[in-house]
Amino acid sequence: MSSNFLEIDNATFAASTKNKVNNVSLTIKKEGEIVCLLGPSGIGKTTMLRTIAGLQNLQTGKIKLKGKTISSEDYNLEPEKRNIALCFQDNSLFPHYNVLDNINIGSKRNKNSKFRYSDNDLIKILHLEDLKEKYPHEISAGEAQRVSLARSLMSKPDLLLLDEPFSNIDQSLKDELQKRIKDLLKELNITTIVVTHDSYEAFYLADKCGIILDQSLKQFDIPYNIYHYPNSIDVVKFLNRGILIDAQVTGNDTLKNHELGTIKGKFVKKQSIGSSVKLLIQPEDLEHDDKSNLILEVVDRKFRGTNFIYTLKTKGNQTIPVFVHSHHEHQHKIKDKFGIKTPIYVDHLVCF
Amino acid sequence: MIVPLLVAIPIITIFFSFFDTRSEYLTLLKNTFLLEYISNSFFILVGVLFLTFIFGVTSAYFVSFYNFTGVNFFKWALILSFAVPGYIYAYSLTAFFENYGTAFSILTFLFGDSEYNQYIPKFDGLIGSIFSISFSLFGYVYVLTRASFLYQSHNLIEVGKNLGFSTKRSFFKIILPSARPAIVAGLSLVAMEAVSDFGTVSFFSISTLTTAIYNSWISFDDLSTANQLSFMLLFFILILFIIENYSRKSAKYHQPSRGFKSIPKIELKGKKSALAFTFCSMLFFCSFLFPVFQMSYWTIKFPKYFQDIDLWSLNFNTLLLVFLSSVCLIVFSFLSNYGNRVSKSKLLNYLSAFSISGYAIPGVILAVAFITFISWLSDTFTSAFGFASFKPLFIGSVIGLVLAYFVRFFSLSFNGIRSGYLKINQSIDDSAYLLGYSKFKTFTRIHVPYLKSSVFLVGVLIAIEIIKELPITLILRPFNFETFATKAYSYAAQDLLEAAAFPSLCLIMWASLFILFASRYILSDK
Repeated sequence: MSSNFLEIDNATFAASTKNKVNNVSLTIKKEGEIVCLLGPSGIGKTTMLRTIAGLQNLQTGKIKLKGKTISSEDYNLEPEKRNIALCFQDNSLFPHYNVLDNINIGSKRNKNSKFRYSDNDLIKILHLEDLKEKYPHEISAGEAQRVSLARSLMSKPDLLLLDEPFSNIDQSLKDELQKRIKDLLKELNITTIVVTHDSYEAFYLADKCGIILDQSLKQFDIPYNIYHYPNSIDVVKFLNRGILIDAQVTGNDTLKNHELGTIKGKFVKKQSIGSSVKLLIQPEDLEHDDKSNLILEVVDRKFRGTNFIYTLKTKGNQTIPVFVHSHHEHQHKIKDKFGIKTPIYVDHLVCF
Repeated sequence: MIVPLLVAIPIITIFFSFFDTRSEYLTLLKNTFLLEYISNSFFILVGVLFLTFIFGVTSAYFVSFYNFTGVNFFKWALILSFAVPGYIYAYSLTAFFENYGTAFSILTFLFGDSEYNQYIPKFDGLIGSIFSISFSLFGYVYVLTRASFLYQSHNLIEVGKNLGFSTKRSFFKIILPSARPAIVAGLSLVAMEAVSDFGTVSFFSISTLTTAIYNSWISFDDLSTANQLSFMLLFFILILFIIENYSRKSAKYHQPSRGFKSIPKIELKGKKSALAFTFCSMLFFCSFLFPVFQMSYWTIKFPKYFQDIDLWSLNFNTLLLVFLSSVCLIVFSFLSNYGNRVSKSKLLNYLSAFSISGYAIPGVILAVAFITFISWLSDTFTSAFGFASFKPLFIGSVIGLVLAYFVRFFSLSFNGIRSGYLKINQSIDDSAYLLGYSKFKTFTRIHVPYLKSSVFLVGVLIAIEIIKELPITLILRPFNFETFATKAYSYAAQDLLEAAAFPSLCLIMWASLFILFASRYILSDK
């Protein structure tokens, strides 16, 4: 018998010909893991969740939960028998029940669970104290999302599916809620799959992330690896956290770009000397140095609170992002000259 | 499957009858009065559409956009016109304006004896029919247009202001065109009711297609002519039905969003306020108070007719039909809607769409087609298998009446419950399943409690329609079985308008009571 908690084996999820994800294989080994599925809107992430929940049929392949097949081409265990909770992105609260009744409606479902939070505990954690007696039409979309989350948790599911759980929540509350929910899920050991298009949210919450692009699961790995070791140009473009520059491999740990000069580092995959590659440069890979000979022009500046991200232009019109701490002694304006420390050292050289 | 089958009966029966042997009466009609029937039906249609448009849109505009004396009263008072069927309005018009009628009595009381009859206008014939039907039906245009004004126009008006439009220009360039689908939908309903009207035109002795159908059956005992005339009328209605359906499809793009804001009303003062008040008061008076006063006056003036009426049995019969029909309609509408929602089958969807076409079939046609079909079925079974005739079970029985009402009003009940269902997002069902609810438990714990107000509204609307319904009840009722509508009609048909007053008044009171129950939902601002 399989010991994995959730196994998705060569599965095709489809709501329509366009909204389709083919041949997905992924495994959640241990109970309590949090997995985030990242991808652009309309790619089929929600369809995957709905299929895992049993609300849609699986086209091909197999899904097993705790060793038991719950979906296959010719079998679909009814959603009410799966003990999987899905927290919808849109408002799915029962309109004729107030917030408290909504939260408690599924609470008697799994009496043997070790879940030891009461409705009031969840109400406190999710900041719903003032809403208990209100009806769904009297609360905001963000509040409805939190109530929906509380309701899903109260049903003590084996597997919790969250569809864009923070999409309607204010930024000020989002960070705090993300922490509280992550702590709660870890404490309760509830295995969770979160769908989101926000990579920061995914990297914070997830033990593992899956990137869905072009109707397939492109990469499934821990967040650090997804960011630093993207396995395809598509993933790099989707994350949008760096650029690809043309370079030539000149040694076992060096490359050369005709404008940036020598770039040193450790190759993630071995490259043959003399070959032409596309090298991934992320904002934190370059270091600012006013005394450097490598001078570029500032064409854009984004202030991100803790840092600036400067976009620099080379003489050949190539644009490169550079990360600079916001307490740096002086700031550069658009069209200023900006020095880059040479030789450039990139910790891990990701080439395609 | 049962519902579309029932609806199909009148349509198929009429279709086959059209290709049946032509009777001599039909040939005679073609050579003589057929053109008059068609032209009368057409003139009534055009006249009613014109008046209901003016009454409905103008009153909806005043009530939706302006604050003036009595606006909150007129908001619901204007829908009371639904309680007065066209034929009772016709009785009131005649009673008031006829020679030596109420108008004559009032003038004599005020100014002494004189020959006033020559100065009092006569509202009878085509004009009387058009006014009677218009006052009883303008409510459709008022309710739908008002809802459309409330739901759509706030942002549009603000855009208009930004573009420098005056109030008048905003109305004609923005508000009116954006409410067009609702106005067309209201006018289409009016049109279907107007061409189907039987009671009013029959009282004024105006020959239209509906009276011709009734007369060919009742006077000439010629079912085949009745069916052939029905085919013509149904074709006419089919065109209206297509227009109505088309306009509804457009109307769905104007549903209110979550961020609905009510329109800030403009305060009217002075002459403008008086104008709005006068228009709405006149409309309320003419459409509701006038027939109520006239019928009350006669009820008090001729108390001897009051004693002739078995009030208990009239109440019992009317409410029995309301109760049985409402229960059947609501149960089947719930089942059909739930079936559509859960199965998502296209076939079931098509069948439901067909099932709701019954409302387009005029009562007279439906009743005649029902008799034709039951007679044919019974005769076929009797000759083939030697069964005893089962005609008495359906023709001239409460069962037959309820079945015919079912076909006629299924759309009302199906659409009422469907509009409630449309407010329940599919993810709510999904959430219930994921919280461990079975389909049955989702239905009983989520759908039924949530839809109880829709069910209540549907029940009330069915009650109003059945209380007012005349031709089906008249044709299919059991012997000596009277409702307020049939009692009033039979007195009026014998020229005993004084006697028709009391049952008419009771009918209006019952219908008004149900309208007041439903007004909260019909006029909901959100």
